[in-house]
Amino acid sequence: MQEIEQGSSLTHDAYLRLKKNKLAMLSLYLLSALLILAVLTPWIAPYSYEQQDLELGASPPAVAHWFGTDVLGRDQLTRVLYGSRISLAVGLVATFVALCIGVLYGAIAGFVGGRVDQVMMRLVDVLYALPFAIFIILLTVVFGRSILLLFLAIGAVEWLTMARIIRGQVLSLKQQEFIQAATAMGQTRWQILRKHLIPNAIGPIVIYTTLTIPSVILLESFLSFLGLGIQPPQSSWGSLISYGVETMEEYPWLLVIPGLTLSLTLFSLNFLGDGLRDALDPRTSKD
Amino acid sequence: MPNIFHFSLLFLLSSALLCCSKNTPTNAERGIEEQILYVANADEPRELDPQLSTGTPEHQISSALFEGLLNRHPKTLAMTPGAAERWTLADDQLTYTFYLRKNGRWSNGDKINAHDFVYSWHRSLLVRLGSEWASMKYVIKNAEAFHRGDIDDFSQVGVKAVDDYTLSITLETPTHHFPQLLWHNSYFPVHQATIETFGAMDDRLSKWTLPGNLVGNGPFTLTRWELNKVLEVKRNTHYWDNNAVKLNGIVFYPIASQQSEVRAYRSGQIHLTYSPQMAIEKIADYQKNDPDSLRIHNGYSSYFYEFNTTIEPFTDARVRRALAYAIDRDKIVKLVTKAGEPPAYSVVAPDPNGYQAEALFGYDVAKAQQLLAEAGYPNGAGFPAAEILYNTHDNHRKVALAIQQMLRENLNIEVQLLNQEWKVYLNTKLNLQHSIARAGWRADFLDPINFFELLAPNSGNNNTGWKNQAYGEVLNAIRTAKTEQERQQLMAKANEILAEQMPVIPLYYMTDVNLVSPAVQGWYDNAMHFHPFNRVFLQDTASTTRQNNKQ
Amino acid sequence: MLSFILKRLLSSIPVIFMVVLITFILVRLAPGGPFSDERKVPPIVLENLNKRYHLDDPVYVQFFDYIGNVLQGDFGPSFKYANRSVSEIIYSGLPITVELGLYALLVAIVIGITSGVIAALRPNTWQDYVPMSFSMLGICLPSFVLGPLLILIFGIWVQWLPVSGWGDAPFDKVLPSFTLGAAYAAYMARLSRGGMLDVMSQDYIRTARAKGLPNWLVVVRHGLNSGLAPVVTFAGPAAAGLLSGSFVVESVFQIPGMGRFYLQAAFNRDYTMILGTTIVFSVLIVLFNLLADILMVWMNPRLRHARN
Repeated sequence: MQEIEQGSSLTHDAYLRLKKNKLAMLSLYLLSALLILAVLTPWIAPYSYEQQDLELGASPPAVAHWFGTDVLGRDQLTRVLYGSRISLAVGLVATFVALCIGVLYGAIAGFVGGRVDQVMMRLVDVLYALPFAIFIILLTVVFGRSILLLFLAIGAVEWLTMARIIRGQVLSLKQQEFIQAATAMGQTRWQILRKHLIPNAIGPIVIYTTLTIPSVILLESFLSFLGLGIQPPQSSWGSLISYGVETMEEYPWLLVIPGLTLSLTLFSLNFLGDGLRDALDPRTSKD
Repeated sequence: MPNIFHFSLLFLLSSALLCCSKNTPTNAERGIEEQILYVANADEPRELDPQLSTGTPEHQISSALFEGLLNRHPKTLAMTPGAAERWTLADDQLTYTFYLRKNGRWSNGDKINAHDFVYSWHRSLLVRLGSEWASMKYVIKNAEAFHRGDIDDFSQVGVKAVDDYTLSITLETPTHHFPQLLWHNSYFPVHQATIETFGAMDDRLSKWTLPGNLVGNGPFTLTRWELNKVLEVKRNTHYWDNNAVKLNGIVFYPIASQQSEVRAYRSGQIHLTYSPQMAIEKIADYQKNDPDSLRIHNGYSSYFYEFNTTIEPFTDARVRRALAYAIDRDKIVKLVTKAGEPPAYSVVAPDPNGYQAEALFGYDVAKAQQLLAEAGYPNGAGFPAAEILYNTHDNHRKVALAIQQMLRENLNIEVQLLNQEWKVYLNTKLNLQHSIARAGWRADFLDPINFFELLAPNSGNNNTGWKNQAYGEVLNAIRTAKTEQERQQLMAKANEILAEQMPVIPLYYMTDVNLVSPAVQGWYDNAMHFHPFNRVFLQDTASTTRQNNKQ
Repeated sequence: MLSFILKRLLSSIPVIFMVVLITFILVRLAPGGPFSDERKVPPIVLENLNKRYHLDDPVYVQFFDYIGNVLQGDFGPSFKYANRSVSEIIYSGLPITVELGLYALLVAIVIGITSGVIAALRPNTWQDYVPMSFSMLGICLPSFVLGPLLILIFGIWVQWLPVSGWGDAPFDKVLPSFTLGAAYAAYMARLSRGGMLDVMSQDYIRTARAKGLPNWLVVVRHGLNSGLAPVVTFAGPAAAGLLSGSFVVESVFQIPGMGRFYLQAAFNRDYTMILGTTIVFSVLIVLFNLLADILMVWMNPRLRHARN
């Protein structure tokens, strides 16, 4: 009971601190708006994402097409909206995969310790030593490229840092008195892990999550650039941008609009992550 | 605090100033003065050994470093003397005799003679060397048997040095395009002493082709080769026709991306781009803003979709034809590919010698729907899942998207797109795991047979699973046709079978699109993408391109 | 300390071995072989090529042969470039990638620390937001956008800088270094901002201020010293990331570095080349991470004592 109260007041404090950070709050609003748009896309998109109008071709932003049309005459607004669904989904799902693996793995390694920890962390080292962007390229080449595999592949790579952070956190928490007290009171390991360790590590987890999402979205765009992304006619921000780069002088709006959308999202996620770090990290509360 | 602001300001300013100080001439400008041609050359050449090199980028360099028995005229593509001064064909249509020029020399000054050619061709047929083009020599008597190891004695193969300057070649069957093959790099000569200094005759990994080691007989000689960076050649003073060569050297840059190539051209790093195609949107841009730099002309090549005829529903010729009738090619070339490609109604490209396959079908939605209904899929009902497979490339993607929509609108069938990385795509086609796949073919020599043979039942490049014996027989008849008229009739017959059976959907004939600086002279557009450097030179012209129109 | 380094080095051997094993399996699983091409290679030629490169041996034999050769310092011949060995290619490409990575690190540090420190002086004001936003440019714009964009502006429109190359023309290293470094500037900025915020709230800084020292002198003399410690420890992993992540920039700017060779090798199925470059990249990553750990131990006396 006492814990919950303490926890809630901690989060409340954090929220108050976050509110002071105008940029982080702006980012939060922006991201929420974007998420809502992405969810509502099938109902609000003005056109079909694959319907071409070859006669029209690439046309600059106008009343009929707010964001213009691409070289095959497809409505760019619709494609950006559908793209945000894919890109955000890739970001969220891959990060969730990374989160699950990373937290569990790190917590177990840190908590059990000893030989098990040694072996588990060696495995992390192995995966760390793989040149990882390149490793994903190999993976997509080998396993083909369904979106699901893409999620899994990216998630499978991104969990490493998470595992390290959690392990470190658990190791340092283990030394602290309230855990030792809990052990003395006869709580099982699993109870301690669930009730004490993971809740206390929540700060770094949240921060790291907001910082993983942008790097995953960025990674998806690299794969698109290399031609290893999603299958047309679907669109993601990465694929829209990589097509846009090719014609940035002729049809600048095809790069600027998806580019701006991506950049704003990444800016927001990063600022929100920084803001959360400032808010959740008690050390900065001294100010 | 002001200190830090000042510091960063200073840093920015000084870096900006450093950049501004540059006003050195570009490659393109310097090249004109020094007669050095700067070119983009697509992929890094994997090998310069003429018997081993495979692609067009390699050929481009090979033909600067080596010279075959014959050359071609870059404008008319007619065969002209090369290492041989003249040649004769005996009445049996089987025996060629080549008379080598006496003043032919290797780049180290050694004389070049008929034995060099025998040695080189012998080498290319050694199976351990692993020459990917060895089968190109199968037209020569016993060459295939020797290559397969059925006979061990090379003297039984139809290549003989009658004396130092006379080379006699006997063919397996009359092959009237044989002289054209001689221009291919696998027929170029190599210098025996050099090969043997650096390894065995059949050593694939030999270092004889590195700068300093390589000895050739072409108009240029290799001076520098740094992987992924640059390859340079300079004038070969021992070349027999050196006085007519005007360039002092050529610098090849391996630039694989079409975008980078155009950027390099525009910033004056190169005089000409290499890729036969250019990014579609750049073409329109150059047509508008820099037409003097842009060259578009018909290539001898065909772009088409291959069916996998071994799986439902494409086992049925009516389905294949329905799809072929439902595609509006005019729309594709005008609105999607936009490089002046002629629409295709036969896989065989029209050639400069005058062959033009008759168009036996066209864009006809009613007919397409009828055919589909006859095959059991009225208005597309019950049509099985199918995919259009293509390798990752912008143009392929756009064409596939346009066709996907045409099939949806005209036949009410939904096909998916499947984009695969190059080697995966090849592998999928090889194992017939596709349903429809994009394909393109550039002919090796100027003859319609090149395209017809693609779909022969025994062709290694036939990725359709379509094995039509009647068609195979017509092809055999074409090969042995006695008169030109008979040949024409047979080819018309073959074209009919293709239109009836439709194992592939012809889409359009590709064009070559290049950026060529107006300063480049003696570089001609031709169907074979053949651009020898020995007559090219650079001359400053009054023409204003974006390249020399600096701000 | 020495025994710590030695132990770490020894334990990286199985790590590298595992990396080689995983990569070896992956490349063999990839569809298409090194010799597949649009025009099919005749079966008899293919058979001989496979024999020549020992691809007809059982896979485990190939693997142990390969490991044996690598232990003798031989990465084998490249499948694509017939007259070069993988070692030669790495030897020519590695220095370029390292140089590029070094300049990029420098760019990241200069931009990152400058904006991070400025931001930390006035947290949560526009003097915080503006420099932090600037430093984030690199992680919000993918390098395949930033690179061509910079080329278009500086190479084609105003023509101040060359559009491609490495060491061929004056200043052709500026754009690629900036493009690659920009991606890490944000991390550097974030770390130095956090570090500075921590330090500036310490008692001795307050004392210094109370003594009447000008603000900037306090920052330079006392703050930077310890505030930038996290940046230093991050430099190791950052360097590793820069080296193995340079392939996009190398492709955009036509730089003959190792990243570009790796990328091409993956697409060409140049087996020996993929393995060779992977090994080198892995060794680099392991070394730089080790370096980071050593630095961390060295800079943090508490940890040093714990080890002894």
